[in-house]
Amino acid sequence: MPDFTDSLKPQYDGQAILEAERNRSPIQVHELSKHLLSRNNFLERQSKIVSILQNDPLFSKRNQLNMSRPDRFHVGLARNKKLRRLAKQYAWDLEDYKMAEYLTDEMSPYHLQHGMFATSVFQQSSDEQRAEWLPAVRDFKVLGCYAQTELGHGSNVRGVEATATYDLKAQQWVLHSPTLTASKWWNGALGRVATHAVVIAQLQIPKKEGTGYDSHGPHQFLCRIRDEKTHQPLDGIVIGDIGPKYGYASMDNGYMLFDNFRIPHSALLCRYSKVDPKTGAFQRQGHPAIVYGTLTATRGAIILNARLVLARAVTIAIRYTSIRRQFQDRDAETSSQEVAVLDYPTVQIRLLPLLATSLALHYTGEAVSDHFKKSAAKIENGDFSALAEMHALSSGLKSLCTQYAADGIETCRRSMGGHGFHGASGLVGINSDYLSKPTVEGDNWMITQQVASYLIKKMDEVVTNTAGKSKDTVVGQFQSFLTAKKPFYTLFQGSEINAKEILNAFEWRSAYLSHEAYQARIVQKKSWTSLLIQLHKLSRAYSEMVLVTNFFNAIQSSNLSIETAKVIEQCFYLYALYTIDNDPRSFSTTGAVADASMDALPDHILDIMSQIRPHAVKLVDAWAIPDYLLNSALGRYDGKVYEDLFHRAHHENPLNKTTFNPHWEDEEIVLGSGDGGKILSKL
Amino acid sequence: MAPVPPWVKKLRPAEPLGSQLLDAERAKSSIPVDKLTLFLYGQEFIDIKAKILKILQAEPLFDKSQNYFQGRVERWEKSLARAKRLRQLAVEHDWSLEDHNVAVDLIAEPIPYMLHGTMFLLTLFSQCSDEQGAKYFMRAMDYKIIGCYAQTELGHGSNVKGLETTATWNSDDKTFTIHSPTLTASKWWIGTLGRTANHAVVMAQLIVNGKNHGPHPFIVKIRDMKTHQPLENIHVGDVGPKIGYNTMDNGFLLFNNHKVPHEAMLAKFSSVDPETNQYVPPKSAAQVYGTMTWVRSTIVWQSGGYLARGVTIAVRYCAVRRQFKDEEAPDSQKGETQVLDYSMVAYRLLPLLAACYALHFTGKIMMDMYQQKQGLLTDSTSKQEQEFAIAELADLHATSCGLKSLASTTTADGLETSRRACGGHGYSSFSGIGDVSTNYLPNVTWEGDNYMLTQQVARYLIKTARSVMDGAPITNDTTKIFSYYQSRAEIGAAFDVLGSDTDLVAAFAWRSAYLSFDAMRQRDEAKKPWNDLLVDFYRLSKAHSQYFIVKNFYDTLVTEDPENALDDDTKGIMYLLFRLYALHTLESEANEFFTSSALTVHQITLCRATVMRLLKEIRPHAVTLVDAWDFPDFQLDSSLGRKDGDVYSDMFYRASELNPLNDLTADPYPDSPVIVKSRL
Repeated sequence: MPDFTDSLKPQYDGQAILEAERNRSPIQVHELSKHLLSRNNFLERQSKIVSILQNDPLFSKRNQLNMSRPDRFHVGLARNKKLRRLAKQYAWDLEDYKMAEYLTDEMSPYHLQHGMFATSVFQQSSDEQRAEWLPAVRDFKVLGCYAQTELGHGSNVRGVEATATYDLKAQQWVLHSPTLTASKWWNGALGRVATHAVVIAQLQIPKKEGTGYDSHGPHQFLCRIRDEKTHQPLDGIVIGDIGPKYGYASMDNGYMLFDNFRIPHSALLCRYSKVDPKTGAFQRQGHPAIVYGTLTATRGAIILNARLVLARAVTIAIRYTSIRRQFQDRDAETSSQEVAVLDYPTVQIRLLPLLATSLALHYTGEAVSDHFKKSAAKIENGDFSALAEMHALSSGLKSLCTQYAADGIETCRRSMGGHGFHGASGLVGINSDYLSKPTVEGDNWMITQQVASYLIKKMDEVVTNTAGKSKDTVVGQFQSFLTAKKPFYTLFQGSEINAKEILNAFEWRSAYLSHEAYQARIVQKKSWTSLLIQLHKLSRAYSEMVLVTNFFNAIQSSNLSIETAKVIEQCFYLYALYTIDNDPRSFSTTGAVADASMDALPDHILDIMSQIRPHAVKLVDAWAIPDYLLNSALGRYDGKVYEDLFHRAHHENPLNKTTFNPHWEDEEIVLGSGDGGKILSKL
Repeated sequence: MAPVPPWVKKLRPAEPLGSQLLDAERAKSSIPVDKLTLFLYGQEFIDIKAKILKILQAEPLFDKSQNYFQGRVERWEKSLARAKRLRQLAVEHDWSLEDHNVAVDLIAEPIPYMLHGTMFLLTLFSQCSDEQGAKYFMRAMDYKIIGCYAQTELGHGSNVKGLETTATWNSDDKTFTIHSPTLTASKWWIGTLGRTANHAVVMAQLIVNGKNHGPHPFIVKIRDMKTHQPLENIHVGDVGPKIGYNTMDNGFLLFNNHKVPHEAMLAKFSSVDPETNQYVPPKSAAQVYGTMTWVRSTIVWQSGGYLARGVTIAVRYCAVRRQFKDEEAPDSQKGETQVLDYSMVAYRLLPLLAACYALHFTGKIMMDMYQQKQGLLTDSTSKQEQEFAIAELADLHATSCGLKSLASTTTADGLETSRRACGGHGYSSFSGIGDVSTNYLPNVTWEGDNYMLTQQVARYLIKTARSVMDGAPITNDTTKIFSYYQSRAEIGAAFDVLGSDTDLVAAFAWRSAYLSFDAMRQRDEAKKPWNDLLVDFYRLSKAHSQYFIVKNFYDTLVTEDPENALDDDTKGIMYLLFRLYALHTLESEANEFFTSSALTVHQITLCRATVMRLLKEIRPHAVTLVDAWDFPDFQLDSSLGRKDGDVYSDMFYRASELNPLNDLTADPYPDSPVIVKSRL
């Protein structure tokens, strides 16, 4: 309905401001986008898919934040179905499909189908099982979920309570939940959608003599859980959705209990463990740690995703704080304009290091995914030598990268002041959805033990000279560490920054802390639990070193045009120096950085930020995040911030369609409806 | 829901049960919980809470079991119904303002009447002339009119001077024209405005005879009293969904040359004389500070209690939850280890537990100080006393800015840390932390953004440092610690922070003084631009506020309160919490303590070891220390934080018996366009 608000304009023209920002930086946005997003034809794929989705009314995001959870699920499932049909219609490959999921930006029931479910069926199945199941999985005839965690048991797989007991006579497995805490819990797609599940249960076989069972630890079983026709749970199984969460509204995370539920002998996925159907003899083949393979692969994907998530939050915050003006500069002559918020160092120090961090995550993501691919091929061929390092590296990086992204989203949101709290900031959904990451697939605090224990072991090998001809990079670093004195690297000569010395300082600190942990654990024999905080810090130091190293290597071999390369180099300095400034004590007490350099850090950081500032908008433009994905009034590419905020409130808000009765004496809620007292039925 | 089969009904969580674990926790701590609760709140508050809780729990409208499942519009409607019922109960039981506030706190959601009861009434009370008071304030007190406080705009937050809405005086017909010249002039974020209020106090630039006199308050009727539709040329609505606070109708408001009578301008302090058409300015600016100081002090005071909700949930759940087996644990600990026994869980939660107490005590002291000084601003006190009080209020204003920033950041971050400490289940709405956390989040940006605000502290500290350097006498605590620092500048100082609690406080004072003088030199001698120093100012404000909190914690413990005295054991544990807060803060900010020469590197290393020891000493009391906050289960609405520890049965009950999603059977296959196959 037209009214007088239609002709109003905002005081500041966001569109003109962003244009001016873009005009003053020489960065070639397209060149940088290609540099960042060429893997798997990301850019072309993105524009192909986004043009399909944003014109389809089913994928419109406008009313999403107003919906109740059952409604969100409803829509989520409808979108999932549509995505599958679109995939057929346009002959999308798996990468296309994943891109579409990424752009719709919600975690929905089918997500696990290609993810944990398919991966796990593939990795754990024998060749015959693969032939039997994989085609049906691919065609969505079998809709699956991965049922590992339980109500009382998370990261510790060995603690799961569900049992699978072999019945020799019937040649069947009996799945059973002995307690309430044995209930499967959190498993995505299980709640309302899955027809099948990969169930992790303790494998038990009756003892040959006497009573009782031999227990062989957690194993994976694939079985049908709902009736093919009615979609009701099969007899002896209780299933449901676990209820609302912080985010993931359209995902049906589920619970599941078994009452002596029988499944055939063939349900055990038997690539690595076999049970003879007649004798019940148990036989392992291959590497037992392979059970963790699925988890490690998932972690790789999480790291890659973190950079795009962080880049999205930074894009919104940089664009909006470029436009937003607040207060006059205290040193300015009178009656000047209000200052762009991004010109305040208190805003820069929160946003620009995150912008640099998104690049740091990118280069490590690139390096690590290559590394994972190579290692995964080896494991598939029965070579497990890379597994320890891969698992350690993935644990530390998963912890650090998801923490960067999760905390970074909230930092970006707060940097935008009050409007950051609004749904139209575009950070509400991403914030609450992403917050699952620090605790999912291995709690960020728990899993850092894996890196630390790996580093301690390597240090022990180097000290006792048993490392042999190991090709691990840390071995080399540790060897040179043991023969050197505290180096106190000098990072600056006047205004010049020495990149190589920065790298050395990170390597030294990581080696020093590894040695300290080795001393505490191996030499002084301190208890593991008493060391956990120290080990967490070690994991962080090691992972930061990995990030700095990969960033450094990338700028050495960069083929970007000179101006752009220069700005990326500044981002490298900012990431590295900001990281040092964040934990200054660990760089000075380990003797990694000279005191004079430590004192000069804050001024250098301010200086670098002022050099990056003019390029900030173009740097985020290079991440090429479409408006459809941002779904943000504040972060729109065209800068029409206030117009869009107002439009969403005024024209799209369902609450404004109702007139309410505000008077406390009247029970009526909607004015003129006579609904007094009826609200109780909604409780 | 489909009926739960008997074999599921029979299931119990694996042993040991949560209730057994919490019983054991409570048995091993010597703290008399009731006494500590009394120490925190005082008897009067405890009685009020018990009285109100009983009333609310008997009301079906306040049943929370479907809260977590509903959409924004449903939740808002329900919240309006609750607000109405609350008002009816207040009349029925003759509740005081405090009774009412306790009720809102127990309901634990922002209700649509909230801004009527707070900012609207407060502004009318403090800004109305006597005639306006009779006409508006009394009717507002009786909820005959329902109002809101409309200050911030779409394009303008903390900077009140930048507001765009205008109120232009028309000398011909003695009216004001309220107008929104641009889109960014739209009032925005105003609580209670969106769907509820029929009146608003509107802050607008007062223009008289072409001259702008800055922002002033006007009371404006915005909706028809019968139809509740917006008046002509007024455009008003709700701003839409937010990260939290969704039971509140934060609103927008635009005026298209809307005329209001002369009496609309709230005229206690300044006015326009209708005879002469001249502006009559206020006598003193201190009153404007007054409300902001009160609002910020309230945020500080509440921060401890909000954080304590998250910490209560996390500590209880981490005492119930067990994960992995500590291979080196003594034989007495069978099975998996309680998560709270892991040092890295204790390291995240116990300093936060100490922070709850620290923030609570500081908030209490601030509120007392504010009330005391404000009490001096009456006609019965001498002019000299009043001037003195105004100077002290300015001091308090600066302190309140810094503390508001630090306290609300600590709580917002601490709630998320508590949530993550709960592991995966922290992500479920049933953890109960999510809603507290998201509803708390606006605190870090409203009433002065936590970063912008710290400039005011820095400005005040730099000014004070200058005056101390020029030999000004000691008049308050800040001048006292600055003078001490100044007197030792050439001699240096040594603080025995691990041997003496007073030295520990003094080391925080030293660091604050060092940073203040340093900032002064950057500004006065190095002539650095203000803008380049903002990051330093933020750190300075944080350092000074941390000093203030540490000092208040210590003062609270050494001050004997004969009415609510603690026994020696409990007092001893409170001292452990004090040291944990102070030393953990010191460890996190070690660099500044080192740079300011307050401590040596060796001392800092010893502090870290002491923190680890303190965690061990406090650990056995963790559950009783959260119990003392005395949050009823009704208020927490949490499976994980239940007082009886029956975590898993409650999670399962909510999922399987309260969850409406389980009423529908989905058609899961992509090729079928049917979404819902059947519904119960």
